[in-house]
Amino acid sequence: MAVKIPEADETEMNMTPMIDIVFQLIIFFLLSLKFKAVDRRIDSALPKDRGIQATQQFVDELPMITVKLFRQNMDDPNPDNQNTTIKVGNNYRFELPNGVWEGTLDADRDRQEKYDKVFKDVEAAIRETWEKMGNNPEAKGEIKTPRPKGLKVPHGDVIRVLSTFINVGLGDVKFEGAPAPMPEAGGGGMVTQGG
Amino acid sequence: MSFKRPIQDEAKPNLTPMIDMTFLLVVFFMLTIDLTTKEYVALELPYARMGVDDEETPIPRLTVNLLPSGDIKFKGNVWPLATGQPVEQRAALIALRNELQRLTADPEMREPDKSSMIPVMIHGDRDARWQYVQWIMQICAEPTIGVYKIQFAVKKPLGEEDEPQ
Repeated sequence: MAVKIPEADETEMNMTPMIDIVFQLIIFFLLSLKFKAVDRRIDSALPKDRGIQATQQFVDELPMITVKLFRQNMDDPNPDNQNTTIKVGNNYRFELPNGVWEGTLDADRDRQEKYDKVFKDVEAAIRETWEKMGNNPEAKGEIKTPRPKGLKVPHGDVIRVLSTFINVGLGDVKFEGAPAPMPEAGGGGMVTQGG
Repeated sequence: MSFKRPIQDEAKPNLTPMIDMTFLLVVFFMLTIDLTTKEYVALELPYARMGVDDEETPIPRLTVNLLPSGDIKFKGNVWPLATGQPVEQRAALIALRNELQRLTADPEMREPDKSSMIPVMIHGDRDARWQYVQWIMQICAEPTIGVYKIQFAVKKPLGEEDEPQ
């Protein structure tokens, strides 16, 4: 007797559950994804044990390396005519390039090279001033933006000076306060520790 | 006698309502998703050679954005400082102070000396005026707020992107 062997059906895998799980995984990772918006930061600490007003006397007793920033031609409506002057102590004076950051890569690279050049000198000046103090470990940095020309100094330039101080090894930097147009706000100095 | 067996129909569930519901759920989650990046306004950060990689802080921080014009953007509010009118500037700073007071009010977020554990990041444009940053820091330092941990958002200088710090 002849028995007919049934033809083996090709077994087809059911892909649906796999696809379901894959989609679930995609959704899970999409939801748990966090974009990084800031890649670096400078940590600092404001003085918490002292009031804003009380700080002034305390820090004045310490050896201080002062960097002053001014905005030249700040009333000129064309920002291309404005630039920032940096004074380290009383002996060094540096001029940052005119104008503003363009926001395009090439223009910014160009501008940054000019900045780097100036800040190399600023760093050398700070180092030299500190050496004259015998590299006193108690020495502190100070960033001053005296009125009226200091009022319009851009944030980026001040942060660059702060970063230079940290680079030299002076992590303790004092900022000068600015009188705010509000009641009970002090205009005294404040100290911050960078780095 | 032979009976003909009825061919069994494969039961096919109607998938349409399930798909409808799934799409609704997907849309719901897409709309409610909290992207932390919305805390940050797109702006040009200052370049700084020194700085640490921005790791997540153990205590979630507050981010104050300072636009190049000088406007403060904080938690979805925009407060103008750039108008130069002391009345408006005062109103803006008082609004910032109130909001910071509210957000740092939790007594569990206070250290024994009453200062706040919550860090504040100043996410400021490099062209914004330093004066405004000073004002923001002064408000943070007020005894009722007591924030002393300040972080400045910075950017690696061009050409240094890949170097580890």
